[in-house]
Amino acid sequence: MVIEVFPKLVNLLASLALGTAFLLIARRDLRGQVRLFAAQSFFVSILALVIAVFSSSAELFAVGLGLALLKVFIIPAIFNRAVFRIGLQRSVAPYLGTPAALLVSGVLVATAFYVMAPITASNPLPTADAVPIAFSGVLIGAFITVIRRRALTQILGFLMLENGIFLLALLVTYGVPFIVEIGVFLDVLVAVLIMEVFIYRIKENFDSIEVGEMGRLKG
Amino acid sequence: MILVTLLLIPALAGGSIALLRNRFLIEVIHAFAALGALGVGMAAAITVWRGNTAIEGLDHLLRADALSALMVTVVTLLGAISAIYGLGYIRAEFDASHFKQARMFFSLSQVFIFTMLLAVTTDNLGVMWVAIEATTLATVFLVNLHNTQNSLEAAYKYLILSSVGIALAFIGTVLMYYAGSVGSGEIAVNWTSLHAAASRLNPQVVRLAFVFILVGYGTKAGLAPMHTWLPDAHSEAPAPISALMSGVLLNVGLYALIRFKSVVDITLGPGFSSRLLTGIGLLSLAMAAAFLLTQRNYKRMLAYSSVEHMGIICLGLGFGGYWGVFGALLHVINHALSKSLLFMLSGSILVKYRTTDIRRVRGLLRASPFTGGAFLAGILALVGLPPFGPFISEFIIFRAGIESNPWIAAIGVAMLVVVFAGMLASVNQMLYGEPPDKLAHGEALKWSIAPLAVNFVLLMALGLTLPSPVAEALKQAIAVLGD
Repeated sequence: MVIEVFPKLVNLLASLALGTAFLLIARRDLRGQVRLFAAQSFFVSILALVIAVFSSSAELFAVGLGLALLKVFIIPAIFNRAVFRIGLQRSVAPYLGTPAALLVSGVLVATAFYVMAPITASNPLPTADAVPIAFSGVLIGAFITVIRRRALTQILGFLMLENGIFLLALLVTYGVPFIVEIGVFLDVLVAVLIMEVFIYRIKENFDSIEVGEMGRLKG
Repeated sequence: MILVTLLLIPALAGGSIALLRNRFLIEVIHAFAALGALGVGMAAAITVWRGNTAIEGLDHLLRADALSALMVTVVTLLGAISAIYGLGYIRAEFDASHFKQARMFFSLSQVFIFTMLLAVTTDNLGVMWVAIEATTLATVFLVNLHNTQNSLEAAYKYLILSSVGIALAFIGTVLMYYAGSVGSGEIAVNWTSLHAAASRLNPQVVRLAFVFILVGYGTKAGLAPMHTWLPDAHSEAPAPISALMSGVLLNVGLYALIRFKSVVDITLGPGFSSRLLTGIGLLSLAMAAAFLLTQRNYKRMLAYSSVEHMGIICLGLGFGGYWGVFGALLHVINHALSKSLLFMLSGSILVKYRTTDIRRVRGLLRASPFTGGAFLAGILALVGLPPFGPFISEFIIFRAGIESNPWIAAIGVAMLVVVFAGMLASVNQMLYGEPPDKLAHGEALKWSIAPLAVNFVLLMALGLTLPSPVAEALKQAIAVLGD
């Protein structure tokens, strides 16, 4: 019974996480974008907890709780503070319109299934079928950082990429060793704090958080 | 134990500097920590080379073999030289009213050294990844230290592009970890166990993993086409940091690549990684040559030259064989010595002329004969003229290339000629002519460029002879990588 339901549950949660990435492409208001990131992190942490229970791994359970604390509460709180302080609510038009961006994302998902085929084929774990979904999340996260103009949205794209990688590691090998996971969490937290400072500095220097305003360094 | 000490020195120095308010005390700690790390690093390296062994610490988490020892030597030596130089440079750039920036410089420099040392002395490939990502986080505020619009743009670009790039390296690491845990039945996130199990890994998974590793760590190593952040970040950072980023940090990215390549070559045979590395090496060389021909900013010129040299090192690794890898590792040392030298001198030129525009630097040899002469000699070393080290290592690399891939080697040499012409034309404009009227005669920084003599002595030593301890160290490093 559990053996049958488990892969389906994994697929469902991974797909929900990917769905939030698609929504981020369409969403314009910054608060909503932060909420989407929190929602994605929520699905990923639940998935980690489910796999932890299934594989009865206490370490992974702790990692799942840590992830929830960090990415569902702390990081969204940091970004909400940033949105409040810079006083900007709506983001500007991206470099690529929503319909075109969704189309490209569809292509990225297909690519992910193609690239990850050797992993799905060789992997004996019941979670392996969802690996391409996780990799799709990585690609779409990277894509968002490229097509959006606002620093904040770019950073959220990067964090969704990070979520995708965490998910990938989870599905391929039930997570990486504990010490590495802790190190990665630390890196992510420091990176977010640095990025927050950059949002303020870009706002101060360019009087906007549009990265498109920058572009003097060439050649 | 010695490895723990080596890591503790910069970590404690960085932490304590951040808490202090006395500038003189901060400078003393900074200098002594850098020299202390050099002493301990050399002691560790010599222990490894003498015994032809590896030393471990912290329950197998830390491990230094002959290749790590080579990297520790490069990091701590150039870390110490740039620290001494940094004292004078930071005094000239940030006076008492900019105390916070100066303190941030000293503190983050130490953190930067710590992260690089951790990356090259850990056996755990996951921890290595964490440490290399941390090098970006440690340096991003240093790139933006002058807090101008340009440096802000450079730092933001550096942060986002490097983070995205290195995230891909993490996927590669996870896939390797997966290949190891399936292939050997045990969990192998350590390089030693992965290397030992390499012949039993799933080739398809390893192939995919290496592509991610190459793109990911290739971004950190500044290889084209993932190099776009590099000219901005390396030219906007303060000179002592540019010297370390170009001369040392790029090599840490390459070091990670080399570690994975050694595993991949056992699983798949050398052909796969060779093709990728020669391709990416040649592309880096071509990209750099194109931008070096018309470069108007001397710091960007040096940065693009780093892309070029990373390309040359990749060619050496791609040509393969004993001499290809030997030349590549030797070129790591030579490039580190010459590029850090030039970036530090570029800092002196910037303090003197207050511009990074090549066309506005005139008569450098007349205005500051010492700085100008050293800059000229450094450029000659960098473009690969005898009697300096890069000549020897480039010769060894292309000699190996003529045997394995004659066409690629020929194209590579042709591009070196283009780079040679482009850089000398730019530098000529700076050296000769009339200095601007208001410019006072004399050197901008005096005693703080004294440690650069070490770079010169070593570059000459490596160019005139190949000292047998160096040859022996490289031989051991290559043996570590083989099967």
